Amino acid sequence: MSTVDWKNYDPVLIPDIKDLHQIDVYIKHNGYKAFESVLKDKMKWPDQKSVINEVKEANIRGRGGAGFNAGLKWSFMPPSDGGARYLACNGDESEPGTFKDRKIFEYNPHVFIEGALIAAYAMEITTIYVYIRGEYRVYIEMMEKAIADAYSKGYIGKNILGSGFSVDFYVHSGAGAYICGEETSMLESLEGKRGYPRVKPPFPAQKGLWGRPTTINNIETLAHVPAVISKGASWFKNIGAANHPGPILYGISGHVNKPGVYELPTGVPVLDLIHDVAGGMRNGKKLKAVIPGGSSTPVLRADQLDGITMDSESLRTVGSMLGTAGMVVMDEDTDMVDVLWRIAHFYHHESCGQCTPCREGTGWLEKILLKIKNGDGEVKDLDLLLDLTTQMEGRTICALADAAAWPVRFTINRFRDEFEARCKKSAFALA
Amino acid sequence: MPEVIIDGKSYNYEGKHKLLQFIQDLGKEVPFFCYHPSMSIPANCRQCMVKVGQYVIDRESGNHELDDKGDKVVRWFPKLQTACNIDVADGMVVHTQETDELVRRAQKDNLELILINHPLDCPICDQAGECPLQIQTYKYGPEGSRFEVKKVHKPKRIQLGPRVVLDAERCINCTRCTRFTEEISKTNQLTITRRGDKNYPITAPGTEFDDLYSLNTVDICPVGALTSTDFRFKARVWEMNQTPGIDITNGKGCNIDLWTRDNLVLRITPRYNKDVNDHWMPDSGREAYKLFNENRISRPLQKLDGEQILSSWNNAIATFNEQIDGTDSKNTLVIGSPHASVEENYSLAKFSNLLGIKQPVFVPHIVEGSGDGFLISDDQAPNTNGCRLLGFTELDVKSIKNAVKKASLIILLSDHLLDRGVLSEKDLDGKFLVVLATNHSHTTKLADLVIPVTTAAEHAASYVNVDSRIQRTFRAKETKYTNRRLDLEMSEGRLDRYGTNFDNWVTEENKIDCLPVWRFITQAASARGLDMVLTEGRQIMEEIASSLEPFKGVNYQLMDEHAGILLKTETELKESVKQ
Repeated sequence: MSTVDWKNYDPVLIPDIKDLHQIDVYIKHNGYKAFESVLKDKMKWPDQKSVINEVKEANIRGRGGAGFNAGLKWSFMPPSDGGARYLACNGDESEPGTFKDRKIFEYNPHVFIEGALIAAYAMEITTIYVYIRGEYRVYIEMMEKAIADAYSKGYIGKNILGSGFSVDFYVHSGAGAYICGEETSMLESLEGKRGYPRVKPPFPAQKGLWGRPTTINNIETLAHVPAVISKGASWFKNIGAANHPGPILYGISGHVNKPGVYELPTGVPVLDLIHDVAGGMRNGKKLKAVIPGGSSTPVLRADQLDGITMDSESLRTVGSMLGTAGMVVMDEDTDMVDVLWRIAHFYHHESCGQCTPCREGTGWLEKILLKIKNGDGEVKDLDLLLDLTTQMEGRTICALADAAAWPVRFTINRFRDEFEARCKKSAFALA
Repeated sequence: MPEVIIDGKSYNYEGKHKLLQFIQDLGKEVPFFCYHPSMSIPANCRQCMVKVGQYVIDRESGNHELDDKGDKVVRWFPKLQTACNIDVADGMVVHTQETDELVRRAQKDNLELILINHPLDCPICDQAGECPLQIQTYKYGPEGSRFEVKKVHKPKRIQLGPRVVLDAERCINCTRCTRFTEEISKTNQLTITRRGDKNYPITAPGTEFDDLYSLNTVDICPVGALTSTDFRFKARVWEMNQTPGIDITNGKGCNIDLWTRDNLVLRITPRYNKDVNDHWMPDSGREAYKLFNENRISRPLQKLDGEQILSSWNNAIATFNEQIDGTDSKNTLVIGSPHASVEENYSLAKFSNLLGIKQPVFVPHIVEGSGDGFLISDDQAPNTNGCRLLGFTELDVKSIKNAVKKASLIILLSDHLLDRGVLSEKDLDGKFLVVLATNHSHTTKLADLVIPVTTAAEHAASYVNVDSRIQRTFRAKETKYTNRRLDLEMSEGRLDRYGTNFDNWVTEENKIDCLPVWRFITQAASARGLDMVLTEGRQIMEEIASSLEPFKGVNYQLMDEHAGILLKTETELKESVKQ
């Protein structure tokens, strides 16, 4: 296996430039050049399709967790009928362990704005919404300022840079619901409704916001677009893992010495990220478990991590997923029962309540886990938990039931001894 | 023709269908809660899970691909699908709970989840007996529960509005009620609040659920979460008789069911008729159940020295005939009623024709602007068009006053003209007023002779609604002179059939001493030696159909088969005569 050369990587999303969030500084460092070339360089970009093809070619796999090729998603938009078309940018990031988009809002908002504008041009979008998690009050204000600056410089608005292309850009604040990070319930929320996921089909590209064609992309996904346009798809494709290429923001948290967001190529070995990038385990403790990509991705035991790299193919071999690359690192003192109960508590609290299996199942999972945590559980409860996960998985409108069920299933399967040890001793013990 | 294979049987179909509705239309069953044929499909209860696949067709030959055993290969969807929102497609293969263990298991799992936070208070729940959750749990649910922790507690006994009470704990969040206010009544008064297993429907703070159609949410609620303030705790559904009828409080003529126990109408619910009211009815029509029970006139009343006293039928008939004999037929005014049925109006008209009295007149009861364009019409009476088609003279307020002024004997059928402000006490000074009516009112109080007649709940008779649709009622309630057991058309509930005389629900007072209009008229006619025998609605309608052009071909059999018949309106009739 060829290892990814991450040590010599030069960050493009969050480079070490002072005051990059200010539009003048951003422009000074070649900001909005990619957008300008897309609008004006007719030799290189004869039409919108050429932009979409370049992005498709780069294989930017959606950074919101699903990992779908962004360019391919763009190509699903039907031809324009002259009416409204929307780009909804998903900055709701609310999954425990995930905190990468805030870094973009804070340090380099314009790279995202530029990426969204290129996407808007490529798909003939008329209005862009950026939906930001409500708790990110300060970033919402920063984004509003960044967008106002871009308006005043003429990068957003009517007839941008004399190209004839016009687009509007709005910030929409979430109100503290995890479910609104699910793309279709985000659309409902944008429409001012209760955040209930929609039944698909129809897909947003056919019927999205207010029944009009809509594309939904993650903030980080769009932030990659300017570099793809200016440096070319082949540059992007040659970074990181072959099937899941490009730079990615790793959000590393937990029992490490230097938690934080790191921009590196995909496909970095998990152990390198923990020991080299994040400064090793705190207090020299032993590594026990890692949740690789946000709380819904299956947890991995330390002994599963040898040679595993951070890309969807490699993680799949040990039964997990890249998700949002929000890693949670846990040391030997961690109580997995507590961890799982806390995760279950989160999903119980955040289930929107639309579908029966998730509404009722998440609560039941949490209550049983609480019982086990308090030492009142029985071993049969573990089997009930596993049974419930099968009752929930794949039976709901959106993937939240799966997201709630997977941690339970895999944490119990991978740390069963620890759970059994917390359960009451059977009155009919055999030995 | 496209074909779909359900549980191994092939069905041809045309047009677009949702799978769940298609299966139901075949007479088969898949359990569900949130789906309602007249509203949008949210697919949120997740109960109607079925296994769906598609035959694999070989691209080159265009034939079905076959496996080793020679069976057609099916490519199944990776997950189970909800039948409610999936379109039936050509070559679709469906396994329901009848043939597939996985589907059975999934449906059982889902019911187990629905039930964990549902209070199992069926013994005190109004919905018990007609509860989709109860019925489907018995059929498809788990035998017990593995839920050994604490249930979620939510608000109970919330008065959402004047007519609807919410028990949030029973709610299973199917959103039928919120969708109803959004899509059908369009008031948007209900919404779901809170999140996850704590959510329930409620109104916005400071507002109340006073939707004119609010009680429909009680009907469509698949559990006992929404109950009617009025009907709550009055009766168990299995104690009642359910009899079809027509809403008589409004010109629309919504199809309804009358729910009776011990000869009292306890509630009214809408009955599906796609051409009239779909699944719905306004709350105002449901309040009418009181008209059938309360304030009823029982036994004839006659004025003696200025005061009404209870009389006997013999005396009443004698007085009635004496008054007719003692008055010049020119001075006798017969007033028909848009509130009475076609048969009642016809009986009166036939009688007066035989006596040489002028054709009856009637005063429409239309309040301009009171309708809403949906199921509440401007017309406050159920049979205005019926009176028109019978050829009654339509009078406005001014001309009825003139007509009354000229008359000395007034025979008034089921229309409280004083109460609705058409006539005043002064107009009736010195006249002899005969009123045939069902309920006491200011008008009946002034009458010199009051004949108690049957309501729409006590006779079978037909009404022509604002759209000229003729529909009929059934006998739901016994009078002193009818007997449920001897009447083939009357429904007999469990208590009627198995109760004994010692059971306390047989209350003789609930049977009103009244006669159908035609029975009274027949008795009055026979006392005069007239050859006129009208026995019941069915026979009268046959007579009407054979003698009056607008009703040609109408009979009860046809009305029952087609849930009402569309008649030609007056104007249409006139035009067809011209041509």
